[in-house]
Amino acid sequence: MSATEDRQGQGPADVQAYRSIQLWMDVVNKMYHLSEAEWEGRLQIMQQFCEAEGKDPDEIVAEARGDRAEKIDYMRRLKRFVKTLTPNPMLAHDYENIIRSFFINNGARVVTKPYPDVYNRTQ
Amino acid sequence: MEFLEAVGKRRSVRWFKTWEPVPKEKIQRILEVVRLTTCPGNLQPWRAVVVERDKLDPKVRDQLLACDNWQGAHTQAPVWIYFYADPEGARPETFATRTKELVDVGALPAAFGWNIQSIEGAIFQNETMPAGMPAINELLYGLPYEMSANVAYAETVGACAVATLAAVNEGLGACLHMIAAPSKQEEAKRLLGVPESFVPVWQLLIGYPAEDPDAGGMRPRLPFEQIFSYQNWGEPFHRDAQVVADLEAEGLAQPTGEPKPYRFDELKYLARMFGYPV
Repeated sequence: MSATEDRQGQGPADVQAYRSIQLWMDVVNKMYHLSEAEWEGRLQIMQQFCEAEGKDPDEIVAEARGDRAEKIDYMRRLKRFVKTLTPNPMLAHDYENIIRSFFINNGARVVTKPYPDVYNRTQ
Repeated sequence: MEFLEAVGKRRSVRWFKTWEPVPKEKIQRILEVVRLTTCPGNLQPWRAVVVERDKLDPKVRDQLLACDNWQGAHTQAPVWIYFYADPEGARPETFATRTKELVDVGALPAAFGWNIQSIEGAIFQNETMPAGMPAINELLYGLPYEMSANVAYAETVGACAVATLAAVNEGLGACLHMIAAPSKQEEAKRLLGVPESFVPVWQLLIGYPAEDPDAGGMRPRLPFEQIFSYQNWGEPFHRDAQVVADLEAEGLAQPTGEPKPYRFDELKYLARMFGYPV
């Protein structure tokens, strides 16, 4: 079993203690002033993602920023991860956006797309 | 809408009411204005493909969006006008044809020396043009194809700027956007059926704005006297404050760079509405 597989399901004790999380919160709050309740929900999702990956958020961001293939792989795993949280595709999209926001505001460039029905419209 | 008001109101809109179609009549009105854009030698090298997003085959739609990296405004805008430049539209032969038309209607006056023989002599035999005439022999004789492509591109950029103002005049939001990432331009041409020789310029996204076009503030502009000189470069063209005040009164808004206090709230709610990360 790999070191990563060893740690999957474990994750960091408190994601908020990590530098990448602090940076994420600072940058987002500077623009959008999210409430404590909203951050609580976001941090919960982030915590669960870290547990699923078996890594802390600083490690995740470092890997995603360092290697494009690794970043793409994170996005694929993210899609699978949110489906474990909910069968509702809109909610899954929202959960994905939380993690995407984390990546974006930590300098890991990721593709963002709106809800599919924004552009998937027929006349 | 008055001209100055259209210029003053124009902003690059990046959030569109994806649900509201643009009437075809408005699209045509924009194209009719573009068709009259000024151009040297009346070359008119601009070509465009108008795409109504919701009438596209979904596979083609997604491929075109992917060519442009799924940029947000592109996904939301209901109409995409792809502007290309046709290098053939700026070849010496085309210049000869177009300028002859201008001579025939009296736009290029014989009093200045314009006539069909001198045009052809300059362009095809490198005959020197006399004083009073532009040195079209130097400009056009033996013009490399790549230069024609550059000229066609430059002139089409002008047409795109006019198209943007025409869209604002129709009460629409508009934004000039790259057609595709450089590595995907050929794919975009293939998807649109555009000839390989056409040079990609810009796509104009149009639709009804979902954002307040004023909320992001007037975009910062370089100081007037930094960009305009008088008589000699480096001698600033003096900017009269009264002229500025008069223009503002006539609708030409002046840059402040200040977004409205609620701008970031607006962006937050727009992002949530469309499903973007906050």
